[in-house]
Amino acid sequence: MCATCLETRPNVDLYFQRACAAAAVFSQFTQEQTDRVVHAAYDAAFRNRVRLAKLAELETGLGKWQDKVIKNVVASQFVYEDIKDLKTVGVIREDPITGITELAQPVGPILAITPVTNPTSTTIFKILIALKTRNPIIISPSRKAKQCSDEAARICYEAALAADAPEHCIQWLSDCSRELTQAIMGHPSLSLILATGGAGLVKSAYSSGTPTIGVGAGNVPVYIERTADIPFAVEQIMISKLFDYGTVCASEQALVVEASVADQMRAEFLLRKACFLSPPQVAQLERVAFDSHQGLMNPAVVGQPAAKIARMAGLDLPDDVQLLVAPLAGVGSQWPLSSEVLAPILAWYVAADFAEAVNLCIDLNYHGGVGHTVSIFSNDDARIKQFASLMNAGRIVVNTPSSQGAVGGIYNMLHPSLTLGCGTGGKNITTDNITAAHLLNIQRIARRRENQRLLRADLHLFYDESLDPAAVVQAYNKNF
Amino acid sequence: MSQTCQPIEVLIVEFQGRLDTALCVEMEAEVRATVTAPQKPVVFDLKGVDFVCSAFLRLCIYAYQQAGNQGFEVVNLNPSIKRVFKIAGLDMMLQDK
Repeated sequence: MCATCLETRPNVDLYFQRACAAAAVFSQFTQEQTDRVVHAAYDAAFRNRVRLAKLAELETGLGKWQDKVIKNVVASQFVYEDIKDLKTVGVIREDPITGITELAQPVGPILAITPVTNPTSTTIFKILIALKTRNPIIISPSRKAKQCSDEAARICYEAALAADAPEHCIQWLSDCSRELTQAIMGHPSLSLILATGGAGLVKSAYSSGTPTIGVGAGNVPVYIERTADIPFAVEQIMISKLFDYGTVCASEQALVVEASVADQMRAEFLLRKACFLSPPQVAQLERVAFDSHQGLMNPAVVGQPAAKIARMAGLDLPDDVQLLVAPLAGVGSQWPLSSEVLAPILAWYVAADFAEAVNLCIDLNYHGGVGHTVSIFSNDDARIKQFASLMNAGRIVVNTPSSQGAVGGIYNMLHPSLTLGCGTGGKNITTDNITAAHLLNIQRIARRRENQRLLRADLHLFYDESLDPAAVVQAYNKNF
Repeated sequence: MSQTCQPIEVLIVEFQGRLDTALCVEMEAEVRATVTAPQKPVVFDLKGVDFVCSAFLRLCIYAYQQAGNQGFEVVNLNPSIKRVFKIAGLDMMLQDK
């Protein structure tokens, strides 16, 4: 047994002694006391949005601090605005007709696993929704983003304490070892895991025996339907794809364009300094952007600007190239760029018509992005609905950037969230954008409200096998 | 056969009202001194207490550790306070029936 393993056992119990004590003290808080704590944490996180964004870029080497600032704004202010009026303590709903009263209870200690792509924003977001629901939270940061994640947690914790939050309502793991995380995940005192990370990690969380809310991978196709406003669509896609250099899991991965608007779209992209690659150039890019052994994107390109990736791939392109567009003949492992690559790279497909386009989108959707997000640019609502019904995606964003769109609250009225459920297709329990409402145990007081029709009937009728349902229903509806 | 009960000495500390952070800061040193190496069973009587803060729970844990074999109990809890001790996993301090 190594020294670290011997260390982790007592440490794990200490995390839970503290978390359970925090949960206990929290259980006494009124809505007002709770909301004071949430406001304080939000305020501190918001004030530190720039410093945390810069720390994140510096530590992870991914993305762009200005865009990370926006993520921090969403995670703090937008989330706060969305949850601030939610009733999360005591009686939250009363219905005198049904006689049912709902009460909100905390779920208990939550383990929050946070990713390297959105470290400070995911940390802030999970802290706010946990505090709002009076749940102590333990942050397990990505080892490549430990410092900035810890700092985000510390800032929120100190502010919460100053607002009379219970001690240890927020904790963060001292090390990022698998052993410690596994020990915490399987601990009997842990109530819930919020697992925002890769498939392996999410599976590990679900297998731990603790209830888990996880996420899935995205491989977002964007369908440009013939009624789309093309210059507008290209503008939105650029906004989305360049945001944090493509690190958001909901960012577009492939364009599927109807033939009738393909040339116009291509011209608009060229105006905005996108480069369409030739087949040899595509092959060069593939080798650098994708690790064929692992079947995954190469971490070295994640969150990097297009010009840098072009140089890495030995492509002779203008220095100010913004986006690399790779026309592909198919979807699948033969065409690595048809997979998710979190960088300013877009696959390009031209489809003759709606049917061909949707078939391609189905292929892309099912090629590593089941349950996540799909995007459509169109002004035909019937087509939009048809498209949506044929996709396996929790979110179908319309006429908006997909990165910011899926997150919610910026370009649409989905709940702002940094944890996007992918449903059973992604091996998750929900397709919801996760928010505070998911962190409550709801109790229901059920008062006597007799089912008049049933109780008026002679129950012996039910025991008579020869009577058909219609006859029984007629009997208890008599004179009613 | 009759048994005579031997009277034993028990240290009882009574608390009242809202045991919040500010109050705990004030009284902590004195209570700690009182329950350190008590050489007898210790009881915290929480009748009339309607709120306990984190620092108070820590104080109870300290008192439990100090009392050792002599025993430590919290008594006369109203239900919301009993719930606090249950959620915190501090069953060992709750009064046996």
